[in-house]
Amino acid sequence: MIAQEAQYRDWMLASLAGDAAAYRMLLQGLTRHLRSYYARRLDNGAAEDAVQETLIAIHARRATYDPALPFTAWVYGIARYKLIDEYRRTKRRATVPLDEAGDLFGHDEATDAIARRDVRKLLDKLPEAKRRLVEDIKLRGVSVADAAARTGLSESAVKVTVHRAIKALGEDLERDPNADR
Amino acid sequence: MRTDDLIAQLSSGLEPVKTGAVTRLLLIAVAAGLAASALVMLTVLGLRHHFAEAITGFGIWMKFAYTFALIAFGFGLVERAGRPGADMLRPALLLVLPFAAIVLLAALQMAAPGADMHQLVMGRSTSLCAVAIPLVAAPSLVAAFWALRQLAPTRLGLAGAGAGMFAGAMGAFVYAFHCPEDSAPFVAVWYTLWISLTSVIGAFAGRWALRW
Repeated sequence: MIAQEAQYRDWMLASLAGDAAAYRMLLQGLTRHLRSYYARRLDNGAAEDAVQETLIAIHARRATYDPALPFTAWVYGIARYKLIDEYRRTKRRATVPLDEAGDLFGHDEATDAIARRDVRKLLDKLPEAKRRLVEDIKLRGVSVADAAARTGLSESAVKVTVHRAIKALGEDLERDPNADR
Repeated sequence: MRTDDLIAQLSSGLEPVKTGAVTRLLLIAVAAGLAASALVMLTVLGLRHHFAEAITGFGIWMKFAYTFALIAFGFGLVERAGRPGADMLRPALLLVLPFAAIVLLAALQMAAPGADMHQLVMGRSTSLCAVAIPLVAAPSLVAAFWALRQLAPTRLGLAGAGAGMFAGAMGAFVYAFHCPEDSAPFVAVWYTLWISLTSVIGAFAGRWALRW
């Protein structure tokens, strides 16, 4: 994050002086973090809208960046404000947990993709029927009742299967945490 | 629109940002706010009686100094409030300095031999002062909100409180041209109280009026 701070701040200072090429690189870089940040908090369509709204806000309010202060904190302040604004519009939730700028700059699309790939690999170790149940309930948010109806199992059998599958995966990871890295 | 297209659009024809743009905006707000508050004071209340005589006295300059110091520190507070990621605590704590000075002066006046405590604190005009400072401050509050909305306040309640305090100080500064009370205890209690009330009004109003 410290390296990012230095790079982004350099681009921002050049942008404030009117350097369009630096500005484009800055916005492209920030977009990767913003996509990841909003994807973890909003629905798909709303997330990309929030990314664009934040980019427009960064552009329109760029004079409020004080070069004496950290650039990452400035961007994070705007991203968080736009998230709260989106929650307020859709009346989904009144408060946003007090997280830190690291929450924006600690992730980007690339690390998210790696995390998704890791989950994928792990799930592939399960037998087909179990894997589908875990995916449906834990990843897609299908209700236990719906999953039971689809498979013909009882609801408690579904719960037990998913619970055991997750436990098995956890034990597998503990035995050899770096097997697939 | 695709995000890549948006980025291309935003970065084409990029204008450099003038340094000191935020300060300039806030100075415009101060000038406009003071002028509009002065207009309200002159039309609704009028200058104090025997103004030419009072302007040479200690009391009116004490009020100018106290309220001007609050305007100056309030300026710093609002400037921070308009910048995402900036710390508002330190500029807020600085407000203690002018308040401590007026309290010290008030204590000295009350400790003087033969001081009439009640008259020093209550004066003769508390009931009017109560309504008048927030009233005179109202146009300044509008000016402060106008400026803040062009910046990027991210904690709207706090930003509104800062803008309210700033505007209350401007209102009190202008009100000092009308106010016939010249004792430090009166200013320490009532001016501070009504500036604080303007700050509370700003905090509530800011939660929706400062959205951007």
